[in-house]
Amino acid sequence: MWTKHRNSSRSDYGCQFKAVDSPVHRLGAGVKLLIGVLLSAAAVVAQEPWSLSLVLALNMIYYFGARLTLHDFWRDTRFLFIQMGIIMALYAARYGIPGGLWPGLRIALQIALFFIPGVVFLRTTQASQMMRGLSRILPYRLSFLVFTSFRFVPFFAREIREIAMAQTLRGARLAPRDLLNPWNWKDMFHCLMIPMLVRALKAADEVALSAEARGFGRRPERTYFDSLGKGEKI
Amino acid sequence: MKTANTFLWWRFTLREALLLGFCATFIILTRAALRLHFNLPGHSMFFMMFFLIMARGCVPKIGSATLVGLISGFVCLLLGMAKMGPLILVNFVLPAVIVDFGGMIYHRLPSSYAACLLTGVIASASKAVSGLGIDYLMGMETEIIIQHIVVTTIGSTVSGAIGSLLVPPVIRRLQANKLIPGN
Repeated sequence: MWTKHRNSSRSDYGCQFKAVDSPVHRLGAGVKLLIGVLLSAAAVVAQEPWSLSLVLALNMIYYFGARLTLHDFWRDTRFLFIQMGIIMALYAARYGIPGGLWPGLRIALQIALFFIPGVVFLRTTQASQMMRGLSRILPYRLSFLVFTSFRFVPFFAREIREIAMAQTLRGARLAPRDLLNPWNWKDMFHCLMIPMLVRALKAADEVALSAEARGFGRRPERTYFDSLGKGEKI
Repeated sequence: MKTANTFLWWRFTLREALLLGFCATFIILTRAALRLHFNLPGHSMFFMMFFLIMARGCVPKIGSATLVGLISGFVCLLLGMAKMGPLILVNFVLPAVIVDFGGMIYHRLPSSYAACLLTGVIASASKAVSGLGIDYLMGMETEIIIQHIVVTTIGSTVSGAIGSLLVPPVIRRLQANKLIPGN
């Protein structure tokens, strides 16, 4: 049971929302964005070792205050370590090992600290919370498209699985192992992508017809159906 | 009888806008598949370029690729698949704008191999712009910025170019079956 719980709290990929209770999780999305902007600005301004150490300490408090683990930290920031390596190597190539070490490390650390608040935001903010925030900023027609696209992710994931299974039974080379070979990519495009696009064209027709039948998009402002049966615009 | 009410930006009908939304869904799904099943980071440009040019072919109107880029950027953000945080929107919208610009100049872009390759390379390389801005902001030297950009974007440019080259046969096949408008 414990193992099951521990596995369910682990993320599939870096920067994925982690469902735990922490003071950072309880903050509003707007407050977290503000903290993020302030910390990123501090990373740009900090140039001296003491100021960089201070910003680093603040970022670590913010990150681990969200009850994220070292394992999460590694998954979220490993691409930043690769960046760090590249930048330090470029500085070392230009100024030599002792001369290029500090400027390279400073710039690489500044870039990493610029991104960490954004990672914490994604790790601690639920999609529904972000959706509420987005729907206040975006025009309703655009937010309808964003949420429809979001809503159809599991639908098309299922469709892709079913089409792939059917095509594999017919002999198409679509298994993940087969797709590592570029010669098999034409199977992916002819046996998977074309049926998928045809399915998307059909789904767009059906969803548009269904929405228009309900009077969606008739008025410039957003309207709601009166559930009490009067059918009037509220 | 009014048959085609414009739904968005005075040009897209609801059906077209939904189709573009689904193209954005495909970008997200393939991005997730590359990360989860193949553990291949940094090769998302392959499918992104494919679906951006595909969107331009399915809905041959100015702004179609930009809409796909915008929607996929927001959905990526909602799913927490954005390592760069809100800055990811730049990485999605900029290549999409370049695809739209390419389509505006040459309207047969989705069915031409040469035009797809050129657009794919330029649009994939535009991913470097956000990195360029951050490097400048941090006070990096111009020479090192250029070297850094070349090292970090070469992979995505190559994968974007390959992805864009796969569009013309698919577009031609869909056009031959009258599923999407012809040139």
